Amino acid sequence: MSQSPKGHKEVMTGAKALVTLLEDRGVEVIFGYPGGANLPIYDELRNSSIQHILVRHEQGSVHMAEGYAKVKGRPGVCLATSGPGVTNLVTGLADALLDSIPVVALTGQIPRGMIGTDAFQEVDAFNITMPVTKHNELVKKESELVKAVDAAFYIANSGRKGPVLLDLPKDLLDEPYPYDLSETCSLPGYNPTTKGNIGQIKKALKAIEKAERPLLLVGAGVESAGAMSEINALIRKLQIPVVRTLMATGVLSFDDPLYLGMIGTHGNGLANRLVNKEADLILIAGAKLSNRSLLRADLFGKDAKLIQLDIDPAEIGKTIEIDIPIVGDVKETLRDMLLRIEDKPIRVGVTPWIHGEHQKTKTMLPKADAAEVMEWVCQELSKIDLKMHVTTDVGRHQMWANHHMTNPKHLPLITSGGLGTMGFGLPAAIGAWFADPQSPVVNLTGDGSFMMNMQEFIVAVEHHVPLTVIVFNDFRLGMIKELQDSSYGKRHIAHDFNKEVDFPLLAKAMGGEGRLVVRREEIAEALFEAIHSRRPNLICFDLERIHLRSAINLAEKAS
Amino acid sequence: MKSKIEGRHVIALEVEDKPGVLTRISALFSRRGFNVESLTVGHTHQPGVSRFTIVVVGAEAELEQVRKQTQKLINVLKTFHVLDQEEASDLELTQGGAKNVQHAVMRELALVKVHYDKESARQINHIVERFSARMLHWSGEDLVLEFSGTEAKVDAVFEELKQVTVLESVRTGKVAMSIETK
Ligand SMILES: Cc1ncc(C[n+]2csc(CCOP(=O)(O)OP(=O)(O)O)c2C)c(N)n1
Repeated sequence: MSQSPKGHKEVMTGAKALVTLLEDRGVEVIFGYPGGANLPIYDELRNSSIQHILVRHEQGSVHMAEGYAKVKGRPGVCLATSGPGVTNLVTGLADALLDSIPVVALTGQIPRGMIGTDAFQEVDAFNITMPVTKHNELVKKESELVKAVDAAFYIANSGRKGPVLLDLPKDLLDEPYPYDLSETCSLPGYNPTTKGNIGQIKKALKAIEKAERPLLLVGAGVESAGAMSEINALIRKLQIPVVRTLMATGVLSFDDPLYLGMIGTHGNGLANRLVNKEADLILIAGAKLSNRSLLRADLFGKDAKLIQLDIDPAEIGKTIEIDIPIVGDVKETLRDMLLRIEDKPIRVGVTPWIHGEHQKTKTMLPKADAAEVMEWVCQELSKIDLKMHVTTDVGRHQMWANHHMTNPKHLPLITSGGLGTMGFGLPAAIGAWFADPQSPVVNLTGDGSFMMNMQEFIVAVEHHVPLTVIVFNDFRLGMIKELQDSSYGKRHIAHDFNKEVDFPLLAKAMGGEGRLVVRREEIAEALFEAIHSRRPNLICFDLERIHLRSAINLAEKAS
Repeated sequence: MKSKIEGRHVIALEVEDKPGVLTRISALFSRRGFNVESLTVGHTHQPGVSRFTIVVVGAEAELEQVRKQTQKLINVLKTFHVLDQEEASDLELTQGGAKNVQHAVMRELALVKVHYDKESARQINHIVERFSARMLHWSGEDLVLEFSGTEAKVDAVFEELKQVTVLESVRTGKVAMSIETK
């Protein structure tokens, strides 16, 4: 990777070595926040080609790096200081770990001589972040720095991707040392399998050929492996019906006859019935099958042959037993499958075995509390025929968006599935824009989630990001109420926001534009105008008033 | 279907000798719900490579998952689920010949400080003879003994020691070496 001549040593500070290495790897942008311990890096960034984006809270920096990585397919980089800087990263790192997003996090640490003395802004970053990263390292020696940076990028972006953190003591960053920037890491214990075993592939194809009611279940691993075209080729070849997980939006167009919906707690009844009852074979591609995907773990594929394809051997059979495991990169393995089918065609065009396709749009989402308004907004948004990156936050609106955002140009949705982090969407949208400045970005959010990281809106204003924040305002933590309704006998507490927030005014206060929408007829126009303005702006949809007015309108028309 | 019944299992790991690797491994076992009964670690003949032998209590169904998760740690080179040669025959039945299971010989070391005087001399000498202990240090009153052997043997040693006054004792926990079985 490094562009430095092999074996050549040059005296420079650790910070200079670090920034040069980042430049050599093509890092274009770093999302960060300064503090005493990482100032040496900042001092070097002044003279660097790398653009630094000053976030307003370190959590925002990781989510921006995640959004960037999702769109760019390369690790996003974030930077924080020691102590509170690194503790503020923890949520974002955990988010990236659970959704397998490549992020390289750099943190300043207090000088080596003071480590362990409870010095000012000292926390044990290594141990705090160990369980929320794919790998982390406290760089204790100058001679380790170059290799550690190489390893961080390699580990983050290979195998099952994920966040890697390097903790960098301030004195190491400050002091000169003869660095050899051409050094590379050696990781004898890290050999991600990429080639699926051909014997297993043959077995899988045989089983598919024998099956009468085969089904393909697609997870986010397919997109992460860049295997969207391969999976589509396989679907076409086999004419196999498809269901997906929450994270795998955009695998097939919603009106494709082979697409049959989403599985899991927030999925479609039909899709769940297929995996739990009707299919006699399920080919699972890049899905970790967590408790949220398995509506009934005891029923999932009970009478079906299960084939699981995953880059991570530890995912195979983790929650359910698998008949034919294939460990390998999804893209390479699907290619091998397709080649194999070319060579030895298998019976294609399975007899259409699924009845009731008309049900595929029926979701299991409760319609209460004016929730349909979210559907109307998503439908209108889906009519905007522009390439856009759309993020969501966490709550009811996330699930409604998941079912009703149907324009392939807006998919896959960028959403926090594994950790379910409220406050993910806004910074992730900003990060996504830095990866693809041609396309506007949209954040679909709830009033609760928006308030978790709303300070980052200023970053969008500062950098003229064509961002539209869509706040579905239900004046409460909607999903919490939903859970209290369904599981706690409608005993309510701690979900109502008793004070109304003027969200458009907030956006204006931060230098953006804001608009409140209270009528259904306004939805389309408000969205069109906001997105085409290519300016940072916020639309607050008042779910209750829109709902009420449209009901009154209907009643008036009827009478 | 693998057993969900809790049992004792031995896992051996070869790891790169890097800072924090012990924490990574022990954190992973506790997070995945395994109680570590004993854990030994030391260098091997290869520079930079350490070897762990970990005895854990947990359900076999989850053991393979933990082994795989451990294998994913960047600094872990190799992982094996090992079977005590002496316990192998019955365990093998439940294993169904899993790929990553290997037979092994296992040993444990114990150091024991006993009070040695006229009354206890006969009893202690008997124990030393019977279990081929080595006498490491004699202070005039206290005697430090070294025992090694299978876990069962060391258990037996401790059973016998109940008859004398033990001042201090320590057991290393198992170390394991895989073997070829025909
Ligand atoms: C950081 C964080 N804290 C708490 C939760 C638990 N939680 C899940 S959904 C939800 C409510 C979200 O409310 P809002 O963003 O307004 O969305 P809505 O459900 O109303 O659409 C909460 C509190 C969470 N997911 N993330």
